Amino acid sequence: MAPVHSPKAPAKPAANPQEGNGHSANGNGAEQFYSVGQSPLRVDARDKVTGQTQYADDLHFTGLLHGAIRCSDHPHAKVLSIDTSAAEAMEGVEAVLTAKDIPGENQIGIIFNDQPLLCDGHARWYGERIAVVAARDPRVARRAVAAIKVEYEPLPGAFSPEEALADGAPKIHESNILDTMHVRRGDTEKGFAECDVVIENIYRVNYQEHAYLETQGCVVVPGYGGSMTIHTSCQCPFYVQKGVKTILGKQASQIRVLQSPTGGAFGGKEDYPTEPAACAALLAWATGKPVKMIYQREDDVEWSSKRHRMAIYHRIGASKDGTIKAVHLKVLEDVGAYGGLSTVVADRANISSIGPYNVENIHVDTYCVYTNNLFGGAFRGFGAPQVTFAHESAMDKLAGELTMDPIALRKKNGFREGDTMASGQPIPGRVPLIESIDDATTLANWEARRAEYDAHNATNPLVRKGLGAAAIIYGVNLHAGGEYINRSGAHMRINEDGSVNISIGLTEMGQGLLTAAVQMAAEALGISHELVYCNQIDTALVPDSGPTVASRATIMSGFPLVDAAKKLRRTLFHRAGEMLNMPADDFDLANGKFFSKKKGLSAGALLDYMDVVGACFAKRENLTEVGWYRTPDQPWDKATGQGIAYHSFAFATQIADVEINTASGQIDVKNFYCAHDVGRAINPNMVTGQIEGGVVQGMGWGIMEELHLREGKALNPGFTDYLIPTSLDAPKIHVKLLEDPTVAGPFGIKGIGEPSLIPAASALANAISHATDHHFTELPITPERVLMALAGVDQKMLEPAVSMSW
Amino acid sequence: MTMKSTDDERPGSSRHSRRSFLKGVGLAAGAVAVVPGVSPAQQQPTDPPGLKTFGSAKQEITLSINGAKQKVEVEPRTTLLEALRANLNLTGTKEVCDRGSCGACSVLLDGETICACMMLAIDAIGREVVTIEGIAKDPKYAKLIDSYCEHDAAQCGFCIPGFVVRSAEMLDNNPTPSPEEIKEGLSGNICRCGTYVKIFEAVSAAKGRDIW
Repeated sequence: MAPVHSPKAPAKPAANPQEGNGHSANGNGAEQFYSVGQSPLRVDARDKVTGQTQYADDLHFTGLLHGAIRCSDHPHAKVLSIDTSAAEAMEGVEAVLTAKDIPGENQIGIIFNDQPLLCDGHARWYGERIAVVAARDPRVARRAVAAIKVEYEPLPGAFSPEEALADGAPKIHESNILDTMHVRRGDTEKGFAECDVVIENIYRVNYQEHAYLETQGCVVVPGYGGSMTIHTSCQCPFYVQKGVKTILGKQASQIRVLQSPTGGAFGGKEDYPTEPAACAALLAWATGKPVKMIYQREDDVEWSSKRHRMAIYHRIGASKDGTIKAVHLKVLEDVGAYGGLSTVVADRANISSIGPYNVENIHVDTYCVYTNNLFGGAFRGFGAPQVTFAHESAMDKLAGELTMDPIALRKKNGFREGDTMASGQPIPGRVPLIESIDDATTLANWEARRAEYDAHNATNPLVRKGLGAAAIIYGVNLHAGGEYINRSGAHMRINEDGSVNISIGLTEMGQGLLTAAVQMAAEALGISHELVYCNQIDTALVPDSGPTVASRATIMSGFPLVDAAKKLRRTLFHRAGEMLNMPADDFDLANGKFFSKKKGLSAGALLDYMDVVGACFAKRENLTEVGWYRTPDQPWDKATGQGIAYHSFAFATQIADVEINTASGQIDVKNFYCAHDVGRAINPNMVTGQIEGGVVQGMGWGIMEELHLREGKALNPGFTDYLIPTSLDAPKIHVKLLEDPTVAGPFGIKGIGEPSLIPAASALANAISHATDHHFTELPITPERVLMALAGVDQKMLEPAVSMSW
Repeated sequence: MTMKSTDDERPGSSRHSRRSFLKGVGLAAGAVAVVPGVSPAQQQPTDPPGLKTFGSAKQEITLSINGAKQKVEVEPRTTLLEALRANLNLTGTKEVCDRGSCGACSVLLDGETICACMMLAIDAIGREVVTIEGIAKDPKYAKLIDSYCEHDAAQCGFCIPGFVVRSAEMLDNNPTPSPEEIKEGLSGNICRCGTYVKIFEAVSAAKGRDIW
């Protein structure tokens, strides 16, 4: 079905709290957009569809060598010796390097200095890199790493947070607790005492593999004076730059990172691409030749980050009328062997763990615990999907105990204008949570459908039907902990022919950022988007604009583009004023026409954009500008989790419609109904695509995708047995965009990349619970788990005994 | 939910299965190895046409790619995918799983979609291979290509050439597929961005049908 897209009459974007968003569209106070809100074709669509796009592995350079990596054979061991002689002797091998060969600092941790690039004697997981090889042929490189002889002294390992926290647990680092986060509000003891109903559960969520189709890969090309140009598939070129400069002992200026078109990322190419890039750069430094490093699929799954496995101890209580009185959580995050981004993921999990509900008394403890497993990291949603599964499942369970409709319970407690987040901050601007719940339930025909399914299930034991909902609040952009890198820049240049080059500091990875940036730049400048070209990010062209994460790319590209456009418009208006002998401040420019701000465009165009550009060039004016934006400060108290967690929030509700075959446990997802608060859709067609994709990916995690580990080793690292949704699994997805551009980003935009995925698995879990009348506490809910539940097998009996200790 | 077959056989198509691939390996390796599960009688070792000797050394073979004869130097173990990408610079065909389970390396072999990672280059001797580059140039498929663009079916784009190849074959064989036939026909290709809805729209619109 076609997406339901019904934007309201565009409203005037509110001023940005810090600098104003600088956009006055077409003057006269009347906001009319020409590019923003349209759905022009994705700028790189045709190249992608015809196979012309050059991804990292499609690049070729003269004298190219191929890199390969040797990793540990044990999940936890001392490395006693490394013998590289057999590898070095192989025909075609040009370099075999270990930790001792690193010219700079052997340190690749993004936040904590806890991770060597190459093993320093202590292997903490199977992905611990022992040595790297460059050879003329990729097959030879792989044979050479296999020929390296490593002698180990195996150590006992810890393979769950509970094991790693137990007395006498093996020490993975100095302490097995990397960090802890908290939320403290009110008095939970008093709150629980006032409850009529209290429910407790331990929710468990498992790893999700990103399964981006393009594996990790890069090509590093040496330049003059020891400089390096790195073509890499990544989300965060400035992270790659920082990592490589540290390993090689260079300056940032000498490391140029060009993001190659990126074949899927989803968080998996946030911090991790730094590691293969640093390995390849080390080999390029040692050989003086270009080095390509492309991962094989199995290696990629085994060595790169995953969505964190978490255990969420959850207690929630409410009074008879459904008012939630208190929530107490203990979240255990399985960090894996190295910190990576785990603490930042935990920050988001910690503060998102209550959901979009008013709760007076909150007590949350989030522990980041080292284990000898593969390591967790960024994955679309960034800790939020895990805790969302807990709070949204608990809401349905609570509704059942209270004999309330799950939607009614959510609406009773849901955030409204003026309410306060778990972080103690008043939620700024409009809060369309209830609107999103109403819209989703209307799309799904909730009440009638729930009643119909209840009646159906009472008489149909074989095929059961279920409808389940999940609602979220999503903090747009970086958490307070990321304030120090929350800024961005953009370049904008008008050429003599009137065309415009823009460079932005964030990455296109399929979400459509290049297209959105072109539309925003065109709108901000007042010209056709067909005149604007945006290049893929190059660290030599734009200032460090932070990572492309947290659904921040459109906002953080838009602000500096608007800033740069404002400066260029000043020059153009000055020139136009000279040409017509009018005051410069009476001009406006929209859709390529200059007109009087006072009289409006309806009074007629005064000049054409091209004429003014020509006049500027004749007068040798500067038509190159840099735009800049930094977010307002985010004061934060870590001990209590109180402060400005985020500056703006997006809301969403998704409803899943399922059919379950009770004989086979098969789950057939029929429909998804999604109502998303997006602020303003720059390109409604692409926004809808993001939501559809997020639903499918969240659905995979919810019911299909399970990465099995044995003592830290991935047992199914490939697409034959790690199952991700195919066309036959994809449901019909009905999307409603809620547009109310009165707060947040430039043009009133929020973010959509992450919110699209976060509620999906939870909505599915509730739908499956509705169909089966069983409360599921572990994801993914595979057919096996459905059958066990229907057979009355207690899931807890299959797990190690864990007491509900707080 | 549907389980993927590990035996890479698409419903409704006569794609090469994992089993037939193994037989192919057996042929190529000749007397060197006996493939487990395939009896010597089944192997019927006949030389691929135009291939004079067996051995591990590189040798020149001629392939018919996108309607033109191309000479390439390959080892017997080189897959068709490697030959296309590394020898012929036809990089629109992607390596993703290298196990025949994702469809990103789909090419047409005598008009049928196969996974190029599951076939040896020498087994393609004497067959007509069409890659995404060939399809993109063929006016017959212009509407399909346009439709994929207009429906925003490509997000990251890495899987899309494979989808286009498979869609082309599907529409060649059945110009008016039903929504179910489209879903089933494309189920051997994986898109991790999850743009399936837009891919269905693109394929059905290519034939002027509205499936959703």
